[in-house]
Parts: sequence; structure tokens; C-alpha cells
Amino acid sequence: MNIADFPWLTFTILFPLAASALIPLIPDKEGKGRPIRWYALVIGLIDFAVIVYAFYTQYDFANPELQLVERYSWIPQLGLNWSVAADGLSMPLILLTGFITTLATLAAWPVTFKPRLFYFLILAMYGGQIAVFAVQDMLVFFLAWELELIPVYLLLAIWGGYKRQYAATKFILYTAGSSLFILLAALAMAFYGGGPVTFDMRSLALKDYSLTFQLLAYGGFLFAYGVKLPIIPFHTWLPDAHGEATAPVHMLLAGILLKMGGYALIRMNVEMLPDAHAYFAPALAILGVVNIIYAALTSFAQRSLKRKIAYSSISHMGFVLLGIASFTNLGLSGAVLQMVSHGLIGASLFFLVGATYDRTHTLILEEMGGVGQKMPKIFSMWTTCSLASLALPGMSGFVAELMVFVGFATSDAYNSTFKVIVIFLAAVGVILTPIYLLSMLREIFYGEENKELTAHEALIDAEPREIFIIACLLVPIIGIGLYPKMLTQVYDAKTVAIVARIRQSVPTLVARAPAHQEFAQAEVVYRAPAIAQK
Amino acid sequence: MELLYQNAWLIPVLPLAGAMIVGLGLLSFSQLTTSLRQAVAIFIVSLLGTTMVLSFGLLWSQWHGHPPYLQTFEWAAAGNFHLEMGYIIDPLTTLMLVIVTTVAFLVMIYSDGYMAHDRGYVRFFAYLSLFSSSMLGLVVSPNLVQIYIFWELVGMCSYLLVGFWFDRKPAAEAAQKAFVVNRVGDFGLLLGILGLYWATNSFEFGVIGDRLQELIASGSLSVGLASLFAILVFLGPVAKSAQFPLHVWLPDAMEGPTPISALIHAATMVAAGVFLIARMFPVFEGLPGVMNVIAWTGAFTAFLGASIAMTQNDIKKGLAYSTISQLGYMVMAMGVGAYSAGLFHLMTHAYFKAMLFLGSGSVIHGMEAVVGHDPALAQDMRMMGGLRRYMPITALTFLVGCLAISGIPPFAGFWSKDEILNSAFSANPALWVMGWSTAGITAFYMFRMYFSTFEGKFRGNETALRQELKAGSETLAPVFGPGAMNPQELTMADPHHDEDDAHHASQPHESPLTMTLPLLLLAVPSVAIGFTGVPYANNFEAFIHPAGEVVEHAAEFDWTEFLIMAGSSVGIALIGITLASLMYLRGQIDPSAIAQKFQPLYQFSLHKWYFDDVYHNVFVRGCRRLARQVLEVDFNVVDGVVNLAGLAAVLTGETFKYFENGRAQFYALVIFGAVLAFVVISV
Repeated sequence: MNIADFPWLTFTILFPLAASALIPLIPDKEGKGRPIRWYALVIGLIDFAVIVYAFYTQYDFANPELQLVERYSWIPQLGLNWSVAADGLSMPLILLTGFITTLATLAAWPVTFKPRLFYFLILAMYGGQIAVFAVQDMLVFFLAWELELIPVYLLLAIWGGYKRQYAATKFILYTAGSSLFILLAALAMAFYGGGPVTFDMRSLALKDYSLTFQLLAYGGFLFAYGVKLPIIPFHTWLPDAHGEATAPVHMLLAGILLKMGGYALIRMNVEMLPDAHAYFAPALAILGVVNIIYAALTSFAQRSLKRKIAYSSISHMGFVLLGIASFTNLGLSGAVLQMVSHGLIGASLFFLVGATYDRTHTLILEEMGGVGQKMPKIFSMWTTCSLASLALPGMSGFVAELMVFVGFATSDAYNSTFKVIVIFLAAVGVILTPIYLLSMLREIFYGEENKELTAHEALIDAEPREIFIIACLLVPIIGIGLYPKMLTQVYDAKTVAIVARIRQSVPTLVARAPAHQEFAQAEVVYRAPAIAQK
Repeated sequence: MELLYQNAWLIPVLPLAGAMIVGLGLLSFSQLTTSLRQAVAIFIVSLLGTTMVLSFGLLWSQWHGHPPYLQTFEWAAAGNFHLEMGYIIDPLTTLMLVIVTTVAFLVMIYSDGYMAHDRGYVRFFAYLSLFSSSMLGLVVSPNLVQIYIFWELVGMCSYLLVGFWFDRKPAAEAAQKAFVVNRVGDFGLLLGILGLYWATNSFEFGVIGDRLQELIASGSLSVGLASLFAILVFLGPVAKSAQFPLHVWLPDAMEGPTPISALIHAATMVAAGVFLIARMFPVFEGLPGVMNVIAWTGAFTAFLGASIAMTQNDIKKGLAYSTISQLGYMVMAMGVGAYSAGLFHLMTHAYFKAMLFLGSGSVIHGMEAVVGHDPALAQDMRMMGGLRRYMPITALTFLVGCLAISGIPPFAGFWSKDEILNSAFSANPALWVMGWSTAGITAFYMFRMYFSTFEGKFRGNETALRQELKAGSETLAPVFGPGAMNPQELTMADPHHDEDDAHHASQPHESPLTMTLPLLLLAVPSVAIGFTGVPYANNFEAFIHPAGEVVEHAAEFDWTEFLIMAGSSVGIALIGITLASLMYLRGQIDPSAIAQKFQPLYQFSLHKWYFDDVYHNVFVRGCRRLARQVLEVDFNVVDGVVNLAGLAAVLTGETFKYFENGRAQFYALVIFGAVLAFVVISV
């Protein structure tokens, strides 16, 4: 069989699902789940390896179209197709999913309560998450979106903390309720304008919708994805869900689930409904700024470590919104980069929260203090990851934020006043982020040892497994930070295509050439005499 | 020679590699790496030594007229946006490279002695190496984005090093303060970079300057807007070089180990602000309003720093305010267009101030043998006195530093400061008056420091004084909030303290060779380096001048004018020194009587013009209050609505359950109706 014809994406989706079905058959004499976790880890690794191999051999960066396309008729009476594919938008996120989920499995080592169910759910999520990013059929997308909620609900409700029932219920009501709008908008788009009913995303994107319809559908999608991303004021499920989840679930929530919102926002709202996007974009920019500042302030005031980091996630997602609203290559590219970057950084921070809780058995900052002396390795990992989160240059977060900033600043879709206000406020976030993150570090690690804490908790420093997980996450964080082109070239063709399309929806931009064409030409002329290059 | 230029990227990379190797070693084989100690130090020092040799080679080549060299590669791209990174080697870069590598090299040697007994010895060298790498990366940057990147990285190193002794609460607070205040400056810098990019579509200094002038000339960009962008960029140097109003972090940063204060917070990192102004000179130059802002900020800061330094009792705090003041001179020089004078002072100041800080470190090291590891005692000049007899080398080099900073010919500081004052006079006499009077205060506070530390009789064994200072420090430290308690409780609750005393010597001792050798080596440039820039044969200016400008060789050097200007500044310095000697050496004037007489002024200076208190009340508390209020809104209002909706859902569910009739057709009808309505509305 030719490797080009192998159904790579279908395999990566179904393999973990099928493998999870075999978990009940695995012998586990001790009852602590040791063989099961090894099994899950191996499955995760294999799947990740397959993803990497498939993209390495089959994926062409320069091509903005869908690749690795597979299409099977599923329920012909409904026009339902199982169709999966990857393009520049989904490919980095599929890779991220494989990477984070595998690491989350490794991070779940201390979980001994109901291990069979736990690893079953993790593997089910693995497949479900990839499906969300890969499917190209609206109806299947909706199914995958809903399907992945159930494992999260159970993971929260069974392995969560003290208020887990409340958090899990809130999570499911919020996301399931909002995702009804996806179904509604998808059905409407499929039936719109007569003709053969289709749910295929590419066909839907080519349809000619009236503006009113686009605006309505856009609003529906925006609500659904705004809850997931989350956009303030639809965010309150997140601190509760994060506050109660265990570390591996945390990593998945912050690393992947939030990215689904951003991904779908670009895939559906921006790509399929570009005319409506031209109307909604200023609102997105404002919401983005609100996200950045509001969440940074709430994070500063939070006294619980988990909730602090949860709010910091919300704050960082604001940059995704800004990038999406910028109408520039650079801005959109920065938005995608921010999603990947936050996936890595958020996962590492939440993993460290879990690792710290395992030792201190408290999340309240006042009950910690001075623990850096007993746990220097945990301390240095925390410092590194916090610096990554506050967008220190040399790490991926900085590049993403810088690209969004420059992209928005050079955007020609807004007038100067609007741009100045938005950028100024977003830059205030740049001051607020170190305030809450460094205060947090100071309260946990610096100063004299908290005698009350050390009296009854043995603070053991990080074990090799934990260092390994953080190191795995830091390699891409620093790699992208040092040489961002490594990642941006992967999806550049795609974001350029999307931006070219949405720019046509803004009447004022159509007449003009793409930004800076003439300057880019001029620059070459300029540089030559300036400095003699030897 | 080309080979040297092609491999110049090694300069920042070598120390980085050293830091990475040692850092990874600490994480993965911590026991082994920690036990290696001096092997690690030698490894790191030799890497830095190599970069120092490379830097000297480049300086030599540039001095002999090699054209500037630029090497770039594409770093990020999106569509038709391309961002390049790389390195540029020109006179300014090589000058900075040599300053940074020589000071860093000597500080590293010094650190071996200073940190000999510290648990974090290896970690300290890793940080030092990381800092050197970032700083070197900063000075070779060919564009604004790369400068911003390394700008933040040196800030991070400063954060890590100020908080090096992380079990000390003040160190933790100072580290955070340093980072956050610098972020405020970076906020301006970022906005400025974005604005300039928006206007000129370039990140390169020269190109920005040219295009900005074109745009202003053609009227498509107003001067006001261009000036606004330039001032935003200037906010970066204001924070990094500790200029008013963002100078507050630098004195607190003295909580870090003293070698750090010498390297980062006196010689190199804080000078990065001046370096950036020099790099941005093509942009600033064409905007007179901005140049005025820069000049006055510098002049005011120079005076502010000196006026506070007069009354400080902590030797490191005194030196810190002196640094602020001297940086003010450099910034003022840039503002009046004296490009090479500002950089000349940057160079001379780097050497003599590094030496002064290392000297203070040597003093503290010696004092700790007597009073123990308590910064409140070991750094307080009231505990010192007469140290010249115990530590002659330290005393001698400190004296050289004092003479240099006071501007006594022929020491280095005289030439550079004189040149700045000269330029200030021709730009605006009011600026000159500020600079000139500051020179007098400088001489006074430096010799106050010298006399009370090294002359007179040793006061370190006076127990009563010790108790008093200790009590004083404990009431002073938590100035705010409920932390302040009765100081007696603290001293009584600390029984170890008196036991410790028993082990201590009754006399301070001279520091080991690894510490005194760097002091002696730094004394050489502090004395002699000024001769590269003497006004009658200014080789320095011929080498370092704004890009694209030709230095017109002054045909006739006016000796009369030089003697009047130099005479007046030396005169006021001598007055300052005399005053200091009368007060602190001879005791003919009682300083406390003067303090009593001008109580409000004295308190104002002692409390650092109350900047910290005002900032704490306005910004720190304001921010906390705002954050708390937002959180309350989030919890009560936003989440409250959600929970209310949940309640409403339960109630309506209770009502609607009577509609449930079990007929699937009915449900399908409802869904169909909804979709239909949706389509109809939208068509």
C-alpha cells in the first residue's frame, strides 16, 4: 500500500479510541493501575509518533490548501461524510494535541484512584481532540466537539477537588448549552439558499450568504467559541473547572481545550463568514483588550494558585482575539502562534501547580512562603515557566505577543485613534502580567521558610519524571522563542490566504494593495548604501 | 581580520553556552555540579576571557578604520513581513563590548573571593555568565526589536541576581520591584517601537531617522506625533538607566550581592539606557523637543541622585544614588547633543564606579568578620571608620575612585565630566548650573563616604551603636502596613545573634588577592583612560561620533576657555572635598548640628524625597485595590448572573416539564420551527 493513500488522520483519531476499549482487559494485580498507565503512555507515544511521521512525510508547508484529505460517505441520506484533512491552521494544533496529551498521561503518574476509567477517558479525549481539529464536516465537527465534553465532565466530576460537582456541572452546562448554537448555525448554513444540502466546510465557505444571515450565524458561533476560549463575560466556568481539576486534566484544559475555541473562531467565523467578520472585528479587538486587562487584574487579586493561573490563561487568550481582529498576516500569524505557545506554557504552569500541591497540600498563597529553600529545582522550573508566561524574549510567548502587537499596529483596517487606544491598553497588560506572576513567585518561594508549612509537610524536591515533563515543554517554548520561523513557516501560507480573503470583505481595503508592498520594495534600496556588508 | 568579524557571533554565544551547560548541570546533576565550584568558575571565566580577547581584536580593528560590519539572518516572517536578527560591529559596539567584557571579567575574578563561602557559588557564576551573554547580545543588536529582546533579558538577569539570596525578604521585594519598574519603561519602549514602525516601516536606527525626517519634511507626519514616539522610546532608558521618575528600583537593587551591584547596577546594564539613546541618536537628533526632554531629565536626575546620596548611611545605597546621579550626567550629555562626551563618561564611569562598588564589597566583606552577616550593620558607614589601617589596598583604590568621580585632574572622571559640562554650557547655561552644582555635591558625598569609612577610628565594636542601628533598621524596613512592631521584641527574640558575636574577630581584615587584584586592575583605567579623550587631542571623539557625521577638527584649541571651565568645576569639587574633610575628618563642623538646623531638608533627603512612599501609596496600593474590586465584580456580578441563570433554569424547568408529552414528532416540530425562523429572519 502506498503511504500516501494510508488514512493517516483517521488512524490517529481512531487508534486511541480503539485502544481505550481494550483497557478493561489489561491485568492489574496490584490494583494501582501501573500496567494501565504504561499502556496509555505507550499508546499516546505511538499515536504522537504517527502524527509526526504523517506530517513529516505527507505535509507540504507551502501549500495553503487542505492536505492529507480523506473522505468517506458516512450517512448518505443526511449528506453526512466522514471527511478529515489538515491545513496550516489545524496541523500545528494537531501536533500540539498529540504532544500535550502524551505528556499529560505521563503527568498523571500519581493518579491511583480508578485508574482504568481515568486512562480510558484520557485516551478517549486524545482521539476526540484530534477529531475536532481535523474534521472538515460541520456536523461531524459538532459531534466531536460534544463528544470531547463528556470525558472532561467525568474527569472533573470524579477526580476533581472539593467543589468538583459544582465545577463539572457548570462546565457541562456552559459548554453544552453554548454549543447548541454551533448546531443551529451549522444547520442553517447547510440549508441556506436551497440546492443540495451539504455539511462540508469547504462547500459551505464557498456559498454566497446574505449579510444578515452571516451576522446571525457569526453571532451564534462567536457565543459558542467565546465560551470555550473564553471571552469575558462567558468565562466563569473556567476558574471553577480549573480550580477543581487535577494536574493532567488541567494540562489538557489549558493546553488544548481552550485552543479549540480559537481554532474554531478562525476556521468558521473568519474563514467562512468573512463579511460578518469585517463587522465583528472591532468588537473582537475590544473584547481582547478586556480579556487581557480584566483577567490580569483578577489574577492579581486571587489568593488561590490554581485560580490565579486560570485567570492568567484568560488574559493570554486576549492576544488571540486581537490577532484575529487585526486583518494583517502578522497579526493572524501571531494569534496562531499565541495559541500554540500558550498551549505549551499553560500546560507547564498547570503541571507545576499540581506538582506544588502534591507537596504543600495547599493552594492558598498565604499558607506557603519560603519553600524555595527545600525545593530549588521546583523553584527554578517555576521561575522559568513564569518568565515564559510573562512573555520574556527568547521564549515563544514573547514572539506571539510581539507579532500581534506589530500586526495590530500596522493594520490599515482601523483608524489611528482606535488602534492607539487598543494597543495602549493591551500594552498595560504587559505591565500587569509580571506584577501578578512575580508576586506569586515571591509569595511561594522567597523569604523565610514558613514554619507552619514545613512543620507538617515534607517538601521533597522535583523527581526526574517531573523535570523531564517540564524539559519536554521547555524545548519547544525556547526553540520557538529563539527561532520563531521554525513554527511560523509551517502555517504561513494558510494565514496569508485567510487574510487575503478577509481583506476583500472590507471595502476600504480592497482598493489598496496589501500593506507595505511598496515599503518592502523600498527597504532593499534603502539598506544597500546604509551599511556596507562585507 | 574578516575571520574575526565572521565569528563575532561567538561573543554573546560563548557565555550563553557556559551558562546553559552549568545550568543544566545544576538541574540534572546538582550534587556534582555544586561540588565542582572553582572548576565551574574557571570554565566560565575562561569563556568570558575568550570573548574579551575577541572584543579587543574588534576594537583594534575598528580603531584602525575598518568599515562597520553587518550580518543578519531572517528570524521571523509572516506574509510579506520579514524581521531580521544578527549583529553589527561598529565603533560604538566595540567600545561597549570592551567595557562589558573587561568589567565582567574582573568582577568574575572578584566574585570568587566574595562568594567563596556562599552556598550558591556555582549558581552565581551561571547567572553572571547569562547576564554577560545578554548584555553582549544587546550591544551588538542591529535593530530595535533585537535591542528590546536583550533589553528584557538583561532585566531578567537583574531580577534573578537581585533576588539571589532569595531567603531574604527585602531581596525578594527588591527583585520584583526592579523587574516591574523596568517593565513600565519597556511598556513605553514597546509602544515607541510600534509607533516608529507604523510610521517608517523599519526597525533599523538609521533608516528610522532618515524616514522620519522625510515624513516630517513632507508633512505626512506631525512633529508632535514623531516626538511622542521618540519620548515613548526614551521611557525605556529612563527605567533602565534609573532616571527620574523611574529611578526608584536601583537603590533597592543593592540587596543583591555586591559584585552584581558593580557589574549590573553600576557599570553595564544601567548604562544600556545611555547606549540606546546613542543608538537612537539619528532619530532623537532631529527632534529638538525630545532632546530637551532628555537633557532636562538627565540634569534633574543628576541633582536628585546627588542630593539623596549626601545623607545615606548605607555605603551601597550611597553609591547607588551616586550612580543615578552620574547616569543623569550621561543622559544630559546625550540631550544636549554631546554624543561622544556622554559615551566617554559612560566608559570612565564604568571603570571607576565598578571599582568603587567592588571596594565597598571588600569593605563589607571585611566588616562581616566583625559584625556578622547582617546588611544593616556590615554596610552602615556609622559602624566603620579607620579601615585604612586594616585594608590598605581597598582604601587606596577607593580613594582613586573618589578622586575620579569628583573630577580632580588628571583622573578619568575629570576629562569626561568636564566635556559634558562644557557642552551643557554651550547648549543652555541653566543646565550647566545644575551639572556644576551637582559636581560639588558629588565631591562632598564621595569624600564623606571615604572619610567616614577609612579614616578616624574604628567604630565596629561599639555594642551600643550596634544595638541602635539594628533597632533602627528593623523599624525602617517595614515602613508600611501592619508589619511594624516593637523593635525591642525582635532583638530580644534573636538569641543566636549574641552567640554569633563570640566567633567574630574584633578587627576587620584585608580581602584576599582575588578581590584586591581586580581593584588594582580597575584603578589603572580609572586613572589613565581619560587621556584618550583630552580636549586638545580628542582621539575618543574621532573614534566615537554619531553615524554619518564628520567631526570637524577644532583648528584652534582655546586654552583660556578650557581653563575657565575646568577651573570652575575643579574649584567646586575642591570646596566639596574641603567641606567633607571639615565635617567627617577633622570634626570641626558637626554634621548632626547642621542636620538639626535644616531638619525638613535633611529628612527630605534622608527619605529619598519620599518617592517610595508616594509610589507605594498611589501605585502599589491603588493597583491592589483595583484588582480586588475587579475580582469582587467578577465573583459577585458576572458569576452571580450565571448562578442566577442556573436558578432560573431550575424554576422554568419545573414549569416546562408539564409540556413534556413524549411525542417525538412534537420535539422535531419545535426544532424545525426554530431553524426555519432562523433562516427566514436572515434571508
